[in-house]
Amino acid sequence: MRKDLVFGMAGSGGDGIVSAGDSLLQAAAAEGYHGVMTKSFGSQIRGGESSCRVRISTSPILNPGGNLDVAVALNWEDFLKFGAELPVSGNTVVIYEAATNIPVDQIPLVGVTPLQVIAVPIAAMAKETAGTERAKNTVVLGLIAGWFGIGAVAVMKGIRKKLAKKGEELVEANQRAFDAGRAFAMEHPLKVSMAIEPSETKGQVKLITDGNDMCAAAAIFAGCQFFGGYPITPSTEIMQFFTDQVWKYGGAVLQAEDEIAGIGAAVGASFAGKKSMTATSGPGLSLKSEMMGLASIAELPLVIVDVQRGGPSTGLPTKTEQSDLFAAAFSAHGDVIRPVLAPTSVADMFRITVEAFNIAEYYQTPVIVLSDQEIAARKETLDPIDTSQFKIVDRLRPTATDLQDYRRFKQTENHISPISHPGMLGGTYLASGIEHVESGAPTNSGSVHARMNDKRTKKFDPLKERRDLFEVLGNPDAPIAMVAWGSVAGVCREALAMAQAKGLDVKLLVPYLLYPVAEGIYNDFFRSVQKGLVIEQTHLAQTFKLLRMHLDLPKGVKPLARSGANPFLPGEIVAALQNLLAELQRSHEGNLQPQE
Amino acid sequence: MSATGTCEYQAKDYKSDLKPIWCPGCGDFSVVQGIYRALAAVGRPPHEIAFVSGIGCSSRIPGYTTAYGFNSVHGRALPIAQGIKLANPDLLVLAAGGDGDGFSIGGGHIAHLIRRNMDITYIVMDNQIYGLTKGQLSPTSQKGRITCTSRYGSLEEPVNPLLYVLAYGAGFVAQASPTDLAGMASTIEAAIRYPGFAFVNIQSPCVTYGEEAQQIKGLKAISETLDSLGHNPADRLAAMDLAQQYGEKLHLGVFYRNPEPPPTYGDLVKERQAALSKDALPKERILDLFIKK
Repeated sequence: MRKDLVFGMAGSGGDGIVSAGDSLLQAAAAEGYHGVMTKSFGSQIRGGESSCRVRISTSPILNPGGNLDVAVALNWEDFLKFGAELPVSGNTVVIYEAATNIPVDQIPLVGVTPLQVIAVPIAAMAKETAGTERAKNTVVLGLIAGWFGIGAVAVMKGIRKKLAKKGEELVEANQRAFDAGRAFAMEHPLKVSMAIEPSETKGQVKLITDGNDMCAAAAIFAGCQFFGGYPITPSTEIMQFFTDQVWKYGGAVLQAEDEIAGIGAAVGASFAGKKSMTATSGPGLSLKSEMMGLASIAELPLVIVDVQRGGPSTGLPTKTEQSDLFAAAFSAHGDVIRPVLAPTSVADMFRITVEAFNIAEYYQTPVIVLSDQEIAARKETLDPIDTSQFKIVDRLRPTATDLQDYRRFKQTENHISPISHPGMLGGTYLASGIEHVESGAPTNSGSVHARMNDKRTKKFDPLKERRDLFEVLGNPDAPIAMVAWGSVAGVCREALAMAQAKGLDVKLLVPYLLYPVAEGIYNDFFRSVQKGLVIEQTHLAQTFKLLRMHLDLPKGVKPLARSGANPFLPGEIVAALQNLLAELQRSHEGNLQPQE
Repeated sequence: MSATGTCEYQAKDYKSDLKPIWCPGCGDFSVVQGIYRALAAVGRPPHEIAFVSGIGCSSRIPGYTTAYGFNSVHGRALPIAQGIKLANPDLLVLAAGGDGDGFSIGGGHIAHLIRRNMDITYIVMDNQIYGLTKGQLSPTSQKGRITCTSRYGSLEEPVNPLLYVLAYGAGFVAQASPTDLAGMASTIEAAIRYPGFAFVNIQSPCVTYGEEAQQIKGLKAISETLDSLGHNPADRLAAMDLAQQYGEKLHLGVFYRNPEPPPTYGDLVKERQAALSKDALPKERILDLFIKK
């Protein structure tokens, strides 16, 4: 029996394929499995192509998986539009709509012979049992229950709950469609059984959510009381969550007239003493640059979430990429350090968002959470998170003594000055984007400017010692290494396990703190390394270059970089690591017999 | 000391120790005096006031008061002011800046602040020129005006700030000028006291780059108070009619004051917060929202 299955399904917008994915994920969670679901769409608002991948496993999942075990095509035209996002291999079972009238030996997948190809009259079965083709997705769920053993009971339980308000008739129609699918699967067993093992954790409470909702929930947990922003794909759900929830906590949301006003209002709220945030994607980050500089020089805490998509400009608005790294680290003029954190999964989005608020508050600085479309939109099943283990940091407020002779930008040992806010007696000061002396009064003095730049950059030194914002996996003395962040880190975690299973001596560094670059931590990591890969979804190898700016990487460390929307597969990373090992062995032989 | 301002304050209590960078004779000296007097009349303690500006000569003004000041970036005083007001609706929030800051680089924001009717007073020091950058065309410069960026004369019609805010539905719209300091102080005071968004356009001459006609003497020659014209400030259409004479006549006083001020955005936010607070999960349990049973 299988321990892990990756489903990929595609259809046109109205086929309900994503909703089927949702039902499958929820059913799997109810049955105690771990699951991850990613969605991918064309950029049409309605209709157009849509797809989802659902990975279900008996153990925790690190990423949405590589090649599909099961491919479902409601029509081939839409399926093929997703290309490398839905990769079919020789181990894939392909299920497709018989009404496409394509014989099983002529399906339009070039250069691959799937394990088994089955044409199913999905639309006809939906029409016959439910009276409408709209039940196609329920037929698909029935097929999956029959062939792969997931959701035989839980799927219909979920559908029943979802459709309860719409009447018993609709529920019954869906039940018939589901049963028909399941019966079809029973009558046509697979050549090789692919049913999944029952989960051992059935009955345990699981959470299901995506990266955007998790980010917003974490922000509220961290004490955020203000969100100012402007709708932009793929970050908008963060604002939506706030509009649902934050009023309950005495907070407010402003859907502003533009990206600049959104962050402007958040800067204002922070000045007024409240934890505040904004969220955006690449184009919005570009617009917010000036305000981020203002928050840096005025030393105001602020969290900016950038959910990356393909860029530049409008780029690929619905697809994932990591190419905002340079913008996150460097946008806004002047000499500025602005911390950049990156979550690698929905699960650690919670910790990273709370951490972002803590760093923003402690260091009185804007902090960027660099998420990406995949994490933002993918749904994961999660074990409950014990929130009591998280510390919440508040900005340093002035004491009564401080207020007797209050200087907002007072030089202190750790370069962090107590911060007052309107309403606080004795704490009045001028916040400004113009350079200022300790009191806040404007100045043109070059020496004050140098001193204040020093204050505003040196205060971050301790951040670069935060080893808890880095994760090293594998043998710490391994000669071969990977570095990966964001959603790509999940693929690399799996590649690491696969490589180790093949006997490769490899390690992986996952930085959650991307900027400032923690030179010491990287130097320690690279000490044993002779060959390595910096693996990233950018065309220009931005991560590799950012590291090169700050440290001397071992010569054998190279980028493995590619444009967004073209996911890395664990298998190809393992192959790349094997190549590195081969090169390493050759160079050792070369050392014995020097060659030209 | 309470939010209702029962404490006695004098104009000097709002004056900071910073020395203004303005040119001698700049109209903004009078404006800041007017603001001190208005604040003293309203009587809110300085630490309960947040005063936000953008960039420009006039945007230095928060620093010359003893309030919490925020001299931010060009054109963005209003979004920042709104964030402050939403974060703490009990503060008295003032925003100020020049005509370029408010009607050019930041021109997109005012319409939305008016729509939201937040209780913020916005003072524009309108001098028809960019002074800080040394004399370029501004959004309120007259067509044909010759400046260093319009050597052959401006080809553009000016913005009419009064009509602009009236058209968007501002609840309080007034104009003042250093030609009448007492009038300016009482106009600003009335703006602050208006429960909702209030706009005061102040014709504040630029002594360095301004034209002759825009200096105090020239302004006096074309000024008349709206009171003297028998204008009824409850009459929005009449206000719009008079506002059309912007640039030709200098009407001083209140163009429009909504006789029945609607609830402010802040009021509505407080209502919503109160109504929903009972539904709040304890923060440490917020992830329960994601439990699938």
